Amino acid sequence: MNEQLFAYRCLQCGELHHPQHFVCRKCGARQFEKVLLEGEGTLVTWTRVYNLPEGYMKPFLCFGIVNFPNGLNVSGQLEVDQPEIGTKLQTTVGVVKEGIGQDYFGFIFKAK
Amino acid sequence: MRREVGIVGVGHPRFGKSSVSFTDMCCYAAVDALDDAGIKTGEGHGVDQLFLASMGAQMLNRQSGIASALVDTLNLRPAMAESVENGPASGASAIKLGYMAIASGMCDVVLVIGGEMMRVVSGWEGTDFVATMLHPIAEYPYGLTLPAFAGMFTRLIMEKYGVLESDLARVAVKNHENAMYNPAAHIQLVPKLEVITEDEDKDIINPYVAEPLRLYDVCPVSDGAAAIVLCAMEVADRFAKKPIRIAGIGQATDTHAVAEREVATDLLAVRLAAQQAYKMANLAPQDMDVAELHDAFQILEIVESEEVGFFPRGEGHLAVRRGETKIGGKIPINTSGGLKAKGHPLGATGVSQVIEIVLQLRGEATGRQVEGARAGLAVNFGGFGNNVVATILTKEVE
Repeated sequence: MNEQLFAYRCLQCGELHHPQHFVCRKCGARQFEKVLLEGEGTLVTWTRVYNLPEGYMKPFLCFGIVNFPNGLNVSGQLEVDQPEIGTKLQTTVGVVKEGIGQDYFGFIFKAK
Repeated sequence: MRREVGIVGVGHPRFGKSSVSFTDMCCYAAVDALDDAGIKTGEGHGVDQLFLASMGAQMLNRQSGIASALVDTLNLRPAMAESVENGPASGASAIKLGYMAIASGMCDVVLVIGGEMMRVVSGWEGTDFVATMLHPIAEYPYGLTLPAFAGMFTRLIMEKYGVLESDLARVAVKNHENAMYNPAAHIQLVPKLEVITEDEDKDIINPYVAEPLRLYDVCPVSDGAAAIVLCAMEVADRFAKKPIRIAGIGQATDTHAVAEREVATDLLAVRLAAQQAYKMANLAPQDMDVAELHDAFQILEIVESEEVGFFPRGEGHLAVRRGETKIGGKIPINTSGGLKAKGHPLGATGVSQVIEIVLQLRGEATGRQVEGARAGLAVNFGGFGNNVVATILTKEVE
């Protein structure tokens, strides 16, 4: 499972987007190129949630918003024992939800 | 030429756990509103259009085309009928559409019903259903929920502005106290501030839901329906109640994925919607005598009170500490009990908020009346702030 996740860079003005948009939020152009999102990120904020929705067989899960060096902020799951704002985390991509016949892949940020 | 629009009837049965079907629940609210306006059901009722606001009836109750069903069971045929889905802001959106239908000259009288029956499903199914409004790729599949985003938002606000857990609890206690005087409120109890914030067993009494948010920092899950009758001001003398004028409406949207917001501690759509509504009403924040702000999470009441211009940014929690948002304070907020204590049946909430302002401006908010209230603001918040509707009501000068 070599799943990868991407940002979408506007070919006209260079603005980065994640998730994918149909129209660039900065210049209005409609052509993008994929940019791999990987490496290190900084934790912006986080939470530990105890009332998970249907489909997650766990007592709780941690979530965070992580800032990449390219400026993009994304949401993801955290596998960190004691998260703290400002901590550097390692970006990984893994199964964030098990589905019938199809698993969902997403960001799982881990302690370095 | 835009026509003026007023509210002449309100119906608000108690929120909680419904013992009747979704359709019947909506009809009880509707007939209360029609009775309040003095509209006789049956021939000559004069209702031109019905709007039904619901976020989840299709998913939760497996029912669609509900506006058409209601218009028939209430025997308002052949009135126009549409259902409106705009997440938790569906109620205020339906009122906005009712306003537009009358202001345009197409209708004279519009019945708006908001309803949600959420307690028919389990807690985790309900949590999942509400989360379906999050981004389908960047948020929803992660298990992210509305409480998760509220928890992350709360942590940022605490870091930036020094808001404490006890400030959130103060908002909750205030709203529970107000709800004791609202017969339509779901929760009729007042938690003790020191028990939910300081007790040695507070992690059991008031456990974390989405850190740093605890049980008393989030709204309950409720069934409920609420309804109002709108009319053109020029026909308002047909009705039993004096009209309360819709003076301004504003609506604004923001990024779908919360992580994409330019300033993570702002609720930009709240600010823009309120500014639009003030402009249309030709009024300012200091002209408001009472407000219903969308406190699905207690942090939202604090930040919204800043974004709508009642307090400077970062000082909403200080106003709470000084008691300025209590009844009798500078600007009483959520006199109905708010979503926190009155309950939050999603599609009904926006209608319910407007009803509280109507009752306050009529002088009918017994036990919780803001003396001499002439103008009020309601803010109905959809998604995690990606679609917000603000409504300003004013009392007509005698």
